Amino acid sequence: MKRVCGVIAAGVFVLASAASPAAAKLNSCDGPVVLGTTISVTGTNSSLAGRWDKMTDMFEREFNKTGGVFLSSCNKKLPIKIVHYDDQSIAATAVGLYEKMATVDNVDLFVGPDWSTHGFPVSQVFEKYKIPSVMSNVATPKLYQSGFHYISGMALDAATWSKNYFDMVAQQNPKPKSVFWIVQDNLVTKAVQEHNAKYADEAGIKTVGIEGFAGSTRNFSGIVLKIKAAQPDLIFISAFDAVSVPLLQQMRQLQVKAMDVHHIMASGSLARQADLEGVTGEIYWHEGIKGPYTELASAVLKAADIKIFDYVWTVGRMDSYLVMLQAIERAGAVDREKVAAELHKPGATWKRVGGEFKFHQGGLSQIVSYTHQMQKGEPVVVWPKEQATGKMIWPSPSWH
Amino acid sequence: MIAIIVQLLIGGILLGGLYALIAFGLSLIYGVARVLNFAHGTLLAIAGIAASVMFANWNLSPIVIAVILFPVFFGFGWLMYVALLEPLTHRNPMQMTVGTVLVTVGLLLVLSDLAALFAGSTSKNIRLGADVFAFGGIFMSTTDFYILVGIVVLTLALHLILTRTWFGRAVRSVTQDSVGARICGVRAGAIHAATVAFGSGIAAVAGMLYVLSYPINPYEGFGLTVKAFTVIILGGIGSLPGALLAGIFLGVAEVLCGFFWTSDWAPGLSIMLLLAILVVFPHGLLKRSAT
Repeated sequence: MKRVCGVIAAGVFVLASAASPAAAKLNSCDGPVVLGTTISVTGTNSSLAGRWDKMTDMFEREFNKTGGVFLSSCNKKLPIKIVHYDDQSIAATAVGLYEKMATVDNVDLFVGPDWSTHGFPVSQVFEKYKIPSVMSNVATPKLYQSGFHYISGMALDAATWSKNYFDMVAQQNPKPKSVFWIVQDNLVTKAVQEHNAKYADEAGIKTVGIEGFAGSTRNFSGIVLKIKAAQPDLIFISAFDAVSVPLLQQMRQLQVKAMDVHHIMASGSLARQADLEGVTGEIYWHEGIKGPYTELASAVLKAADIKIFDYVWTVGRMDSYLVMLQAIERAGAVDREKVAAELHKPGATWKRVGGEFKFHQGGLSQIVSYTHQMQKGEPVVVWPKEQATGKMIWPSPSWH
Repeated sequence: MIAIIVQLLIGGILLGGLYALIAFGLSLIYGVARVLNFAHGTLLAIAGIAASVMFANWNLSPIVIAVILFPVFFGFGWLMYVALLEPLTHRNPMQMTVGTVLVTVGLLLVLSDLAALFAGSTSKNIRLGADVFAFGGIFMSTTDFYILVGIVVLTLALHLILTRTWFGRAVRSVTQDSVGARICGVRAGAIHAATVAFGSGIAAVAGMLYVLSYPINPYEGFGLTVKAFTVIILGGIGSLPGALLAGIFLGVAEVLCGFFWTSDWAPGLSIMLLLAILVVFPHGLLKRSAT
């Protein structure tokens, strides 16, 4: 009987060891600091994040080359380990995986997930287990205004997403006088349009039309004909990249004219499928923009074989790792409460790949995007001027 | 205003024609083999992705791509029926229905992930350098014209195959009276397999035409299957002319909704139309079955 019990106990031990490959010890100075996250490697969002599992492994490798994260309580650097799972782009799966990481893998701290659809339900897990996380690419301000204590987020703020763009167009000659908004029915894209309409107003640009569309829309004839009737100077598309391909194709086909067509997620994927020449867009970060972690980011992207214009939100995800590691260093220990307190410390300045920033009170990063324009098939950063890698061509010759 | 209406109708017919093409294969397979193939849209998506990869890498003509894809997907469809679906036909009707749903849903998940693994999960399309013709304020690209021609040719070909060939007669006889068809020497099992294979081949050609106009990714197939189900219910299950009519009706309705109301409601409109037509015409727009 004793032998049977011994075998069972050994089996349980082996299974437990296998299930928690990098089980962490809070406040310990031994072993790696373990972060847990989910990535949309498969499923509908994999077009945005499909290579981030490799990127995460490369980030871990490159960061550990520097010795790891410094803990003042241990007076030494500890290597990091990032446990990651595929959430299959399904929010419910992400919730289950974060539960698993909290209870089975026993990770020290969380990072991620991405996307507002995941951020809302997964935040409940952070609160339940009192484990802080720095989410990435969760841009809906409402989530951060919900009073959660353990969330922070690295994302372009929907409230200021296109602020730079409207700063730029206000200084162009001839100055645009009207804008037509085309908005995908989605939490983030609707929030971007709602918040940025006020920048258009401030710039003296009058709204002459606003049209919503569902993500499954394939024929945009109705919208395009309305745009033609309104004859706006600016056409502002607040939508994800893949769903906008037929819209842009049909705008070209029906010979829409404007001073500029702006797309908030103009990416390499979109450029391959539609004629994006002359279109302006926003980008989180681009090669050539200098910042505190530029070298690390470039090394990670190269090792993971990621072209930033193909996966435009990659650096947002990388920033979430960097900010969590800074928070651990500032806390001086792998202490969840201290880390959460550091992340919510008012007025604190943090470093990211593209520069320095602060968090809003609720935990969303105050980051304004860079404005770029597609010129001869390549994205050129045109605003703000101090970070520009080229000059804006105005009005856009391919649309005017 | 006339130019606007004509422009909207062109867009609607193009969209609806593609809906109909997606629905043809599904309708045929269900009408003959009684298989609710939830993987049908995914097969179409994979064919579309394969077409765009072939176009990007080898610059093949879309017609050549269609000629390559049809037999490949025909073979896959046959294999799918023989390996996964035929064993279910020995079960009772309830088990067979549930079994086919489970098998085809499982297959769509596996195929989607395999396609994403091998071809990437970003959406893909075929960008032809198209000219645009303008006539009295009406615009049409050569690509759209080719797609319309493709839809018409495929519909006619399908009609002729089903009405003028031995295969078509065999398909209709198995659908009408399986036992009688067997007595006359028709192998019903082989006809079921051939129908699933043929439907998969049609999906491949439809996928190639689809990516000429719209991008597709490996995970979009299920949404297209749902749209195709809507079309075949609207048109009458098993009725190919009904599917064509319903597809165009749906496409035109969505486009008109986008102009006269808002595109936000276009997907919801198809569901509302479906409910309304089920109440008024419970057997679909056309009762007569082409199969």
